[in-house]
Amino acid sequence: MSALACTPVVLRTPISVKSSFACQPRPKYRTSVSLAAAPATQIGFSDPFVLQLAETLEDSLSPSPLTSLQNLRDASSESLLSTPWPSRRDEAFRFTDTSLIRQAQILPVTQPPHVGKLAIGSEDTNFSHLFIADGFLMNSIPNASSLPDGVFVGSLLSDSSLGIRDKLSSFISDFQWGDMFWSLNGLGAPDVAVIYVPAGVRVETPIHLKYLSVEARESGSKVLPLSNPRVVVVVEDGGEIGIIEEFVSSEGNENKCYWTNSVLEVVIGKGAQVKHSYVQNQSFNSAHIKWTSVKQESTSRYELVEASSGAKLSRHNLHIQQLGPDTETEVSTFHLSAGDQTQDLHSRLIFDHPRAYSRQLHKCIIAHSSGQAVFDGNVRVNRYAQQTDAGQLTRSLLLEPRATVNVKPNLQIIADDVKCSHGAAISDLEEAQLFYMRARGVDLNTARKALVFSFGKEVVDRLPHSYLRKGVEKQVKEVLGRLAAGPTTGHRGRRKRSSRRAAATRLNKKDDGGGGEVGGQFAWPPKLRSFL
Amino acid sequence: MAQRLHFSSSSRPSPSLPTPNPVAASSKPNRLAFNFSFLPHPTTPTRLCFGTTNRRRLTVASDESAGGPGKKPLLEVRDLKAVIAETGQEILKGVNLVVNEGEVHAIMGKNGSGKSTFSKVLVGHPHYEVTGGSVVFKGENLLDMEPEDRSLAGLFMSFQSPVEIPGVSNSDFLNMAYNARRRKLGLPELGPIEFYAYLFPKLELVNMKSDFLNRNVNEGFSGGERKRNEILQLAVLEADLSVLDEIDSGLDVDALQDVAKAVNGLLTPKKSVLMVTHYRRLLEFIQPSFVHIMEDGRIIRTGDMNIVSLLEKEGYKAMSTS
Repeated sequence: MSALACTPVVLRTPISVKSSFACQPRPKYRTSVSLAAAPATQIGFSDPFVLQLAETLEDSLSPSPLTSLQNLRDASSESLLSTPWPSRRDEAFRFTDTSLIRQAQILPVTQPPHVGKLAIGSEDTNFSHLFIADGFLMNSIPNASSLPDGVFVGSLLSDSSLGIRDKLSSFISDFQWGDMFWSLNGLGAPDVAVIYVPAGVRVETPIHLKYLSVEARESGSKVLPLSNPRVVVVVEDGGEIGIIEEFVSSEGNENKCYWTNSVLEVVIGKGAQVKHSYVQNQSFNSAHIKWTSVKQESTSRYELVEASSGAKLSRHNLHIQQLGPDTETEVSTFHLSAGDQTQDLHSRLIFDHPRAYSRQLHKCIIAHSSGQAVFDGNVRVNRYAQQTDAGQLTRSLLLEPRATVNVKPNLQIIADDVKCSHGAAISDLEEAQLFYMRARGVDLNTARKALVFSFGKEVVDRLPHSYLRKGVEKQVKEVLGRLAAGPTTGHRGRRKRSSRRAAATRLNKKDDGGGGEVGGQFAWPPKLRSFL
Repeated sequence: MAQRLHFSSSSRPSPSLPTPNPVAASSKPNRLAFNFSFLPHPTTPTRLCFGTTNRRRLTVASDESAGGPGKKPLLEVRDLKAVIAETGQEILKGVNLVVNEGEVHAIMGKNGSGKSTFSKVLVGHPHYEVTGGSVVFKGENLLDMEPEDRSLAGLFMSFQSPVEIPGVSNSDFLNMAYNARRRKLGLPELGPIEFYAYLFPKLELVNMKSDFLNRNVNEGFSGGERKRNEILQLAVLEADLSVLDEIDSGLDVDALQDVAKAVNGLLTPKKSVLMVTHYRRLLEFIQPSFVHIMEDGRIIRTGDMNIVSLLEKEGYKAMSTS
């Protein structure tokens, strides 16, 4: 496929890849595209960068023997033709700067890494582990293991998944809400990991998906290896399963650059339950873009607990679609931005059926002056979703001057018999609490650390497994501890408040790309109103 | 002993008398209570501040040289003036107070007289700024110290409305505070298990169950529980001077007795208590050696329990007579 720049493409008629670039003179006008209630389609300017990237991805993979995977690739490449790279003028990326990826040379990872490089098998054997390195599955769970009958965990390409493929094809339908990153994954995913739970089966041990990034480059090299892991989870009626996703760098890559662009699709049947834990702990110089698309049938339950503290650019797109009434959804997310990082959560919950119950709690801590967090929490309660009970709360802790958080809770409610709430609070640590601790002899620095840590604890405590909790706690403590200690001024009864503020100057060193010492003094932060 | 009858000197018998002082109202050797009539002129030479305004300000001064086994001053407040930091409004207009080791002092006064401000300034609350005077605690200048250093030096204040700290459990909090104290004293820090062993008898002292240790600090606590939590912290930190800011507000009779019992149990000849209160009830449980009346940012009168009776009968206007 040849790359053409800036050819206006008319969207009214379906365009096949081959015919659009035949030499037919196209009238040079732009038709207006009506934006339906469904996703806004882009007016089709082919973005040369996107096209080139798509081409590279296509070339890196051999055509797949699986029709479903090949269909996915075709559909993705088609949509990529008319999808530009997201810019700051697009609402979905208004606060998120993607230049880390855009300005780098992107190299799709074409080969799975050598098994010897990875420490597989040294994990806690109580859980079933599935290792996905650079998007390639490295192992599969033999059915003879602790999993109940009929449960399948493994690659779509493997022979043992024959019986599953037909069932899956009915579930993997077209996703209307994807963006460019979704399509990139669809085009570049070498394999699809499948977790299938038949009807009525309760899987006791959770499945731990460990995503390793092996292929990486030195920081500052402006080359980003790209991996596209893709996982599909299908839980039939009455089934139950726990899923743990952990994104880490492989050993030695803790400060290197790479880009993980992953997609997880979850389909939850009637009365089924999925407990999803998601821990992101990638290198501080990496990019992490993740899509989670969940479809919930009636009376199903989906619980998500997320803890993200790594990656220089981390974006989680969460889409939960309700397909039947009486569903339960609980989403708890914790983002920590302790360096020159951007943590982004764009979530969308769509209710089309009555009596849904949902609660969303988002907590983020920005502990560095170049740190940034973005939250866009969209909840759509459509016309037939009567008696929906939806609540959303986002709380952000800004600990440094010039730290930034952009929150946009938005509820779009059409039904008229609903109970919906949303709340947002952005603050520094409460002075009364700090003083209480100081008055008991706890020095300011320790008190701050304790309060910051306890802020995130509310979400981290919701992780269902204690080893995960401990791991995340340890990571958060380590990251917070790396920030330079000590306030430069303390409170003295005699000094005027204004001089105290003036004395709270900071050294603002940019993160030197090492992920090591994050620069800056941890000064007594001025009150929020000093920014206004 | 003879000095006791000598009202011009303000010395007093040693508090650790084997036989209880018949003059003292209390029969417990730990508790100090004195019959002390109104001093028109303080006669002891050292460390007294004479007011230059019409209002007579009296200080109870301790004087080692006045004889008897020396009573060391724990806290000496001289002409303390403080304002609200944000507005500059003057609240304390020259407070003078001396608290010796082993004494129990009570401060009463009208609303808005500055009692709570006084205790907050002592602890170093950022809302207030000291504009004059001095405070010496155990020989050190208290006003130059950060709040945590003041606490480590042995000053404890129990807040009038303790704040919640969700996310930090009581046991962690107490552990942190206690270890900070041990670090200061040069002792090795305690791990969670050893700390629990240390903590358990203190829990019994304040009559609290151990399940509350797992709860977050003051989260979901009733008023009485919060106050008892404050006393527990006092017991754990073993402070030398406890400033109890309205520890009786919001407590029912039983809770009040528990608190009073705990405070009395913590009193030793070396430790002192400074209570701020409105009502006589608390003072009946924790017998004060001295009662001060505070008005308009100054201590205008000092006495003992007799003042309290007078106060209850005639109200604060009776106190303003000079």
